Amino acid sequence: MTTQSSTPSTTQAPEMVLIRYGELALKGKNRPSFENALVRNIRSATKNITKVHVENKRGRLAVFAEERVAELAVRLQDVAGIKTVSPAWGCESTKEAIAEKALLVMREVLREYPVEHNLSFRVRSSRADKSFPLLSTELDRHVADQILPQLGDFRIDLKNADLVLGIEVRPERSYVFVKRLPGPGGLPVGTLGRGMCLISGGIDSPVAAYLSMKRGCQVSFITFHSYPYIGEASKKKVLDLVRQLSRYQPTSRVFVVPFTEIQTTIRDKAPEAYRTVLYRRFMQRLASRLAYRDKCKALITGESLGQVASQTIENITCIEAAAELPVIRPLITYDKEDAIELAEKIGTLQLSNLPEPDCCTVFMPNRPIIHGRVEVCEAAEAEFDVQGLMDRALEGVERYDIESEV
Amino acid sequence: MTGIYLDNAATTPLSQEVADAMAPFLGDRWGNASSVHRRGVAAREAIDRARAQVARSVGASPGRVIFTGSGTEANNLALLGIMRAAGESAKRVLVGPTEHASVRAAAHALGEEGFEIHTGKLDDAGQLDLQELTDAADERVGLAAQMLVSNEFGSIYPTAQVARIVKSKAAHAWVHVDAIQALGKVSLSMLELGADSLALSAHKIHGPQGVGALVLARDVQIRPLVFGGGQENGHRSGTENLPAIVGFGCAAQLANERRAATIELLSAHRQTLRLGLQAIDGLRVLEAADETAQQPGILSLLVPGAPAEVWLHHLDASGVTVSVGSACQASKQEISPVLLAAGLDGKSARQVLRLSIGDQTTNTDIRTTLQVFESIARELAHL
Repeated sequence: MTTQSSTPSTTQAPEMVLIRYGELALKGKNRPSFENALVRNIRSATKNITKVHVENKRGRLAVFAEERVAELAVRLQDVAGIKTVSPAWGCESTKEAIAEKALLVMREVLREYPVEHNLSFRVRSSRADKSFPLLSTELDRHVADQILPQLGDFRIDLKNADLVLGIEVRPERSYVFVKRLPGPGGLPVGTLGRGMCLISGGIDSPVAAYLSMKRGCQVSFITFHSYPYIGEASKKKVLDLVRQLSRYQPTSRVFVVPFTEIQTTIRDKAPEAYRTVLYRRFMQRLASRLAYRDKCKALITGESLGQVASQTIENITCIEAAAELPVIRPLITYDKEDAIELAEKIGTLQLSNLPEPDCCTVFMPNRPIIHGRVEVCEAAEAEFDVQGLMDRALEGVERYDIESEV
Repeated sequence: MTGIYLDNAATTPLSQEVADAMAPFLGDRWGNASSVHRRGVAAREAIDRARAQVARSVGASPGRVIFTGSGTEANNLALLGIMRAAGESAKRVLVGPTEHASVRAAAHALGEEGFEIHTGKLDDAGQLDLQELTDAADERVGLAAQMLVSNEFGSIYPTAQVARIVKSKAAHAWVHVDAIQALGKVSLSMLELGADSLALSAHKIHGPQGVGALVLARDVQIRPLVFGGGQENGHRSGTENLPAIVGFGCAAQLANERRAATIELLSAHRQTLRLGLQAIDGLRVLEAADETAQQPGILSLLVPGAPAEVWLHHLDASGVTVSVGSACQASKQEISPVLLAAGLDGKSARQVLRLSIGDQTTNTDIRTTLQVFESIARELAHL
């Protein structure tokens, strides 16, 4: 899982994880609330690993723990708002102790570059403790002079070094690190309000949810269940997908809406070609209602232009007309392979590929409408009791609150 | 979860007698059967008792029963273990046309090791094509695997004939019989079956999950799949699953003692079910050509209209638990040769339900099941 080793027998384990955040720093007056959200999310993401102390002092975030620090660093790569993380080794704030630790850390990192020679290298110090006897550049030079002769084949490159040894000098203790592991970037989950994602079990909707989380949205989920035309395993598949997505936000709420009566009514009373579009109009309405209840301010879907018959501009227009909130479609211009690649990266692809049917496959029309018209949808819906169907579906809603298992 | 359970070919409920037999070993009679202190020896004795019970149920010698973690492992151990231990001249493996995935996948793995794999055929009547087998068998055959009872249809295959044909061509060939769906429902004598090895599983006969057995004839050599402390006579290392093995022994003995009564009960239920289902418009019971060669617990059914999975969930919602034919799982593209032989194409292969009766099934269960089928047939008629 991690290329780092936290086994004390091979080397000393890192002591803390340094965290850098990107855009977050730009948010002016909102900064404290963004930082607080990030700290909250860090605590939540790490709670199954070990007890951590999160320090938010003088413009930098650091996560301390007694054990499993390397694992923490890997886990923190999933937390939105984080740009990079560095597992760091601590030492006394003296130039001798820092150089000694730097040598040890470099040796540890170099194990991952087996026979490679001619790596370039530099030291970059920063001093939070301005009373430290050396200037940053002097400390850089001191450490490089001390350790390079013992490491062998290296050249200094101040501009494009392969390895940058970072040193953070603080009054109480100093930290040395080399790796900068990428985080997701974006904004901390929860800082941009809540959204309601329509999730089916396919590949796209989990990716759409992830992308929304990455932009600061706390995502709730709604799924539609047509038992007994599809089985309980299909519901479990959606809940498993949400559990996987809960890696990326502290908790996830899922609403499961019974959809059988709506689908059989549409099957029996509406033009066959319009079935799918009409299902989706009901989904938008139901999602809007549950969004109000759950304080969500937008709907999120995995729609991608032209990917299937229901995703033409005309059909999207028909479907959106039934929504009562703005609809966010993060994947609207994605190619399928890009969505698949991202699904793989966030760990939902394998689950999505399980061959469980979803309610969209129930009573699928032989020739679905390609260029649907809103008037036709409305005329079809005039034939049945939309409000009654909605009310009965909403009465049967099941709610699940899901936490990450990692 | 209550209701009518007609998926006994998938797994069966643990019987109270078996649970009672296992209980002490989940409690104060715990122990490692390899230990030489009294606790260990007591565990060893319990395992040996179970070994004798399993051996008796198939007419084998107790010393030739190898406990495994599942029926799948038993089938794997038979194919891989026997071929890896066989002599230089054994190059070819014959695989029955309808074998379980645990046999087919193990054969595939042997193919990757360089062995030649030949899969047999069914004739138009759904019987084993013995002429084809005769042509395929030659002196290079090291092993032929032929299941006794089809897990899809319940057809009973003539393993003894397979053994005669194979051994007439290759004197040193062994015959492996997967008897997992047969135990307790078909008379099992390794000698009469022509079997040199036999795979069994406990949870199909009201025993616990997580334990199976490979039973060997006297002179069969195998190479283990799992190496270590040399348990199970060196054939399967790893500390024995004491409570499960004790449960298996008890279940095997009970299944054997009650076999005649079970067959009678299941046959009666099957007959009622068959007639009742056939009377419902659009349903078709799939039968092997020869009525006598049928394990009475399994009945396969072609349903009209909606995919079998939709039927399954409707039945489930009404409290009747069945399973879909293996071809119905979207992940498995291939159609089972059993279904092809029954004249089904790719689409209708997705319309197959399997009902499997158990000895806990009652007359009322069967009557209710038929009523439920009638009402669902009406509901799904216009799909």
